[in-house]
Amino acid sequence: MSVEVEVDENDLAEMVEQVWESYLDPEGVSPLIPTYDENQPSEVHSSVSITGSWSGHIVYASSRAAAQRAAAAFLAMEQDEVSEEDISDTLGELANIVGGNVKAMLPPGSHLSLPQVSLAPETSARFPNTQRISGVYGLWEGEPVSISMWQSSTDTKEEGA
Amino acid sequence: MTPMRAMVIDDSRAMRMILKRIVTKLSFEAVEAGDGKEALDLLADMTEVPELALIDWNMPNMNGLEFVVKVRADPRLREMTLVMVTTESEQSQIVRALAAGAHEYVIKPFTEGAMIEKLALLGLVPTGANS
Repeated sequence: MSVEVEVDENDLAEMVEQVWESYLDPEGVSPLIPTYDENQPSEVHSSVSITGSWSGHIVYASSRAAAQRAAAAFLAMEQDEVSEEDISDTLGELANIVGGNVKAMLPPGSHLSLPQVSLAPETSARFPNTQRISGVYGLWEGEPVSISMWQSSTDTKEEGA
Repeated sequence: MTPMRAMVIDDSRAMRMILKRIVTKLSFEAVEAGDGKEALDLLADMTEVPELALIDWNMPNMNGLEFVVKVRADPRLREMTLVMVTTESEQSQIVRALAAGAHEYVIKPFTEGAMIEKLALLGLVPTGANS
């Protein structure tokens, strides 16, 4: 049974800001510029699932170029040195970090899954029986990035991401 | 002088690289493990125990909390400073980790400066190290 979640766009935006400050833009020169466009395209995505008092998914999605830039920033590499594995690891960790912070705002007793990464558009993996309840959508150096929350609309437990 | 050693335990290779970069900057020699079980196996083969372990919570095979409990139960490893580095930021989880024997708790995301500050509080940052 899911409780009413109280994590809103402002909370997500704050978490995203912390992620940018810590890993993706420590110099503070290249923030995520909000677009508020929940239909912006993506080419890759990662997710973590939360089960327990609230059930749903946190999804990080972006263009491939933004993912490559994120991996380069995260791993302190040049963009042309970044491998598929680097991109995959970075996307997984970004979903994990945001998901963990969302979980902390939920009533105790929730469980966070290990991250799932797909080098394919977010639309290819929409979770069944879920509804998007919140999200941060923006451009990072001109490339689309989004972080969204999807709530399971049934009492069914995790079906696998 | 023998450099201090740090064990970085996280199932995310990306996070291990970040943590390794920080401890290397502080002149530690870094050893990596992908989960608690792998870390214990590595420790069993070491003649000298690392001074520091940075430990994720959510990992396959053996999670960070189980690792802390195992380390604290082993007299050979009692001198290790254990720092949880995790997204688990609920107060109850922090209390559990500290009660199990972790010395410090760092919540992801963290900045390099914040991590160095925590390690400095534990007396693990050599004088003159970059902060």
